[in-house]
Amino acid sequence: MTAADPEVTTDASADERPLLVATDVTKTFEGLVANRDIDFEIPRHSIVAIIGPNGAGKTTFFNQLSGVYHPTSGTIEFEGIDISGMPPHAVAGLGVARTYQNIRLFQNMTVLANVMVGRHVRMHGQWYQAIAGLGGIRQEEEATRRRAFELLELVGISRRSAADLSKNLPYGDQRRLEIARALASDPKLLLLDEPTAGMNPGETRQMTDFIGRLRRELKLTILLIEHDMKVVMGVSERITVLDYGEKIAEGTPAEIRANPRVIEAYLGKQATA
Amino acid sequence: MRRPLNLSLVDVILWALRVAIVVGVAVGTITTLSTTRLSGDQWRDLLIFGISQGSVYALIALGYTLVYGVLLMINFAHGDVFMFGGMTAFFAADWLSDNGVLNTAPFIAVPIILLVGAVSSTVVALLLERIAYRPLRRAPRLVPLITAIGASLFISNSVRGLYGDGVMAYPRVDAFQGTFNLLGIPILKTHAIVIVSAVVLMTVLYWFVERTRTGRAMRAVSEDKDTAALMGIDVDRIISITFAIGGALAGAAGVLYAIVYNQVIWSMGFLPGIKAFTAAVLGGIGSIVGAMLGGLVLGVLESLAPTLLLAGFGVPSPNQLRDVIAFSVLVLVLIFRPYGLFGRPESK
Amino acid sequence: MSLGASLRSAVKVGLITGAVMVYLVAVGIASAFAKREVVTGFLTLGHLMLVIPPLAIGYIVAGRPLPTSQRLTHALVAGLATGVLFAAAFLLAVALSPGIRLVLNRVSSSLLDFVGFRSLGLEPGTGALLNLGLAAALALVGGLVQVAPVTVRRAVVGAGTALVVMSMVEPFLRPRLLQFGLPGAAQFVYRSHGLGMVSAALILALGAVLAVGWPRMRSTVRSRIAAADPATRGMLRWAAILVGIAFLYTLPSISGSFLTQVLVLVGFYVLLGLGLNIVVGYAGLLDLGYVAFYAVGAYFTALITSPTSALGWGLNWWIALPIVIVLSAMVGLFIGAPVLRLRGDYLAIVTLGFGEIARVLLGSDALKPWLGGPNGILSVPFMIDDGTYFLPIVGKVTGPAATYFPLMGFCILAAFIAYRLKYSRTGRAWNAMREDEDVAQATGISVVNYKLLAFAMGASVGCVGGAIYATHLQGVVPGGFVLLVSITVLAVVVLGGMGSIPGVIVGAFALIGTPELLREFAEYKLLVYGAVLVAVMVLRPEGLIPDASRRAELEEARQPEEGELQVEYDEISGEA
Repeated sequence: MTAADPEVTTDASADERPLLVATDVTKTFEGLVANRDIDFEIPRHSIVAIIGPNGAGKTTFFNQLSGVYHPTSGTIEFEGIDISGMPPHAVAGLGVARTYQNIRLFQNMTVLANVMVGRHVRMHGQWYQAIAGLGGIRQEEEATRRRAFELLELVGISRRSAADLSKNLPYGDQRRLEIARALASDPKLLLLDEPTAGMNPGETRQMTDFIGRLRRELKLTILLIEHDMKVVMGVSERITVLDYGEKIAEGTPAEIRANPRVIEAYLGKQATA
Repeated sequence: MRRPLNLSLVDVILWALRVAIVVGVAVGTITTLSTTRLSGDQWRDLLIFGISQGSVYALIALGYTLVYGVLLMINFAHGDVFMFGGMTAFFAADWLSDNGVLNTAPFIAVPIILLVGAVSSTVVALLLERIAYRPLRRAPRLVPLITAIGASLFISNSVRGLYGDGVMAYPRVDAFQGTFNLLGIPILKTHAIVIVSAVVLMTVLYWFVERTRTGRAMRAVSEDKDTAALMGIDVDRIISITFAIGGALAGAAGVLYAIVYNQVIWSMGFLPGIKAFTAAVLGGIGSIVGAMLGGLVLGVLESLAPTLLLAGFGVPSPNQLRDVIAFSVLVLVLIFRPYGLFGRPESK
Repeated sequence: MSLGASLRSAVKVGLITGAVMVYLVAVGIASAFAKREVVTGFLTLGHLMLVIPPLAIGYIVAGRPLPTSQRLTHALVAGLATGVLFAAAFLLAVALSPGIRLVLNRVSSSLLDFVGFRSLGLEPGTGALLNLGLAAALALVGGLVQVAPVTVRRAVVGAGTALVVMSMVEPFLRPRLLQFGLPGAAQFVYRSHGLGMVSAALILALGAVLAVGWPRMRSTVRSRIAAADPATRGMLRWAAILVGIAFLYTLPSISGSFLTQVLVLVGFYVLLGLGLNIVVGYAGLLDLGYVAFYAVGAYFTALITSPTSALGWGLNWWIALPIVIVLSAMVGLFIGAPVLRLRGDYLAIVTLGFGEIARVLLGSDALKPWLGGPNGILSVPFMIDDGTYFLPIVGKVTGPAATYFPLMGFCILAAFIAYRLKYSRTGRAWNAMREDEDVAQATGISVVNYKLLAFAMGASVGCVGGAIYATHLQGVVPGGFVLLVSITVLAVVVLGGMGSIPGVIVGAFALIGTPELLREFAEYKLLVYGAVLVAVMVLRPEGLIPDASRRAELEEARQPEEGELQVEYDEISGEA
């Protein structure tokens, strides 16, 4: 039940390799092609975004990165390990954590417990140790609890709500709690699925600032999915554009903004306006 | 495409189970048939009995399937709705029998009894939906299931309190005694009545769901409640109608069951209920045709299998294990083909 | 809500209440309870069954946010509606009598006489009017209690509760009073089987005083405890635990063998409930065939320990126990493995199927050579010295008490294990899985493994229960392992609150203990279980003692001090 320890990359040149490489990923559902031959890379310590109109296959692609779906063909490598056939919990164990577009918290658990569950893969206590109270189980619990409080503070959730049920939190806090839960596993790669969905412009700006801060302060690699282009322009270094399941463009925000195919497929309306 | 062969403990157990079943069924059948324990006529009678039993299962199964199709919930109390119809209709049957109508004009009396059964079951089904299920429509799936189990206990024990806890003997209809010949095959008249009534009711239901406006609305609600509501369909009403139809069929099934077995009791809802659910799953739950086929398959299986499979192994009193066959079918279908024998897996 | 609408709804709830009362009479509960005296010669439980609904409806309706005078009118209107329906049903039944009894077999003429106050010499018409008037008056009283100041409300509720509880505990309290040489007290409190008039008045007064004084006492105690330093608080907690254990230890000596028998029964369900709670409450897997594990434990034990079983080993129970636990955990894994991939509701039905298969197989001729068919396996030795042994302080232990002590021990052990697991990595993983399987998996939880673990864990606890059951009865017969056991355990868990350990205990006392005290109730036990399952799920899905709130309190108590939180972000990232 213990997740495999993440590969520790000590050698300096490893840092130059991209954290995640997807090669020729195709996913079909009963003949319908959701993703076609997508090549994709996430360099270390970068913020990368995947954008595209609704139904472009972003979430399908995302779900393959986190192990929910397995590609019909093609491979996905995380730190050199092929994860394309792995179950989600094993992928999580390697250091990939995610959030959801329509917030999915453990609703009837407390805020604190949500974060503590997030740390599951970094804990080792087994059931028999828990019963016997042996094997440093108390220290581990204490450390986890402390860490959970730190993360709550980091994402800006008041200590006072730590004991509330997570379903009773206000909307914005629920989003932040989801991120805290993801961070609790000490991920190397954080996958954020439309982190600003349902937020007003002020909250959206706060969230994008926060994402930038996460990368800087926690040295995380972050992949964002968005359909709102404005959100990603400011914060990400590289943007990949999907349309009808295919990658139609890739580049820096400036390149994407100038790319005629993107303008045609995705920004058509705004471009003519 | 390379994919690592991921054979977990679970898979091993599942494969062992598959092999064991195939071997068991084959060996049992071959041994039994080679010893010619039963004559051809006896096999045929078992088969007909199975079909008539299966028709009753099919009628009850339709209620499960309709409700599941629309609400995605297992109405565990449906067996008790069935029981309530059979029990309540008993009083009508008893009264008609005392008046002599039952024997002078059986083809007027029996439809009245069926109607009483259907109406009383419908009332219970509607109350059940309104009180126990409607408030929970947005709750997690297990919640209405627990409620349904509670409702099942509540209905059966209420009937026990209201009507008394003894077995009630249904009056005999003289016209239905004995057998008649169909293409040279003697068939018990009661079985013929059950089979014919079931076929008629199922045909009407099929026509209703496929051809009428309300039927279309039901199908729309089962596809997507919210969209259906946006399109002006009164979802609550459609769900009530669904329960009402399921209830009516169960009530009719209750009466037919009583005609075959000549008796009713408050606790009779559970076993036919769970078997009808098995039938619904067997045929692919949510599918009307599937429920009918599933009912027949299960009825026949239950009737033949104890002798066919178990007797071959020299198991003493194999008919004690009839229910084990039914429950094993339930368990195995859910494990190996939860989408039913005739269905296709849900796409994911 | 407009006045018209709110009046209409008052009428509606009044009619529903009336229908409930008619149901209670027709199903036979009212007349069954009429045999149980509350105040001898004056009030029976049957009366209370009919008095409480209009009172309650008046109380509830008057609780709506309306001006005081209107609240009372509404209560009165609701009561009238209740009374009209009830009286009409009564008259109808009288008109159809005696033929009605052929259908509704409890509606006898003596029942109708009881409902229609025939003993006062009333004709049915006047009896119906009296019923109508009483319902209205009671609803009004209920309304008055609602609008009265909070002290009055508490006093009334307290007095009522005290009266009912004191009369209900008669079957074991009176023998206890006699046993401790207080025949005078027994004579004073109880006339015949109900309370005497004077003692009833005293109990009412006492209940009222206690109910009024209680909140203040409680808050004083709480604030004292809160003010105490952590060391004292820790000592208090240990003291409370010790007092609790001492109480449980000496209980059989004070309670007598009838109550001990009841406690043993409750104990079995506490144990089973704690086991099922792991599966259903923690991990969210609805297991409707839990009885199968209970049966497996009992039969394995009987096979291994009984000298007359097919194996004939005749092992000591305590040696058999670990073998049984291991075997049963394996059975749990083997059954669990193929079914745990199923969706929740299918899993429930499959487990139900397993339970039924187990039931039929146990009693079948096919397995008779091993399991004894309908006769079961007999001559299972008792776990300790043939059922009679000595304990310090308590002295000689025999009869049901002989099971009581080890059973309590196992219950405490199971509660301890359940508690430890609950607040651990394992427990959180289970809860996460219960809440959202996909997300749990994306969080790194191996869902299949944790499901299997929960299943095996629940199976082991259930089997220990079965092992004790076998040795308690010194034999096993298939009749003890029916679906109803599974459903009863489920009802215990659901009523107490899924996932809540104290909930299981309270649930077991409420659902298993109460019917033992109310013997008349036995016939309606299952009816009530059914009603409890529906009512809890519809009205209060979190159960009597919700799990979440306790969890919340607990974690609040463990929040670290302010200073501990001042951690730099770098430090966080350093660990990453």
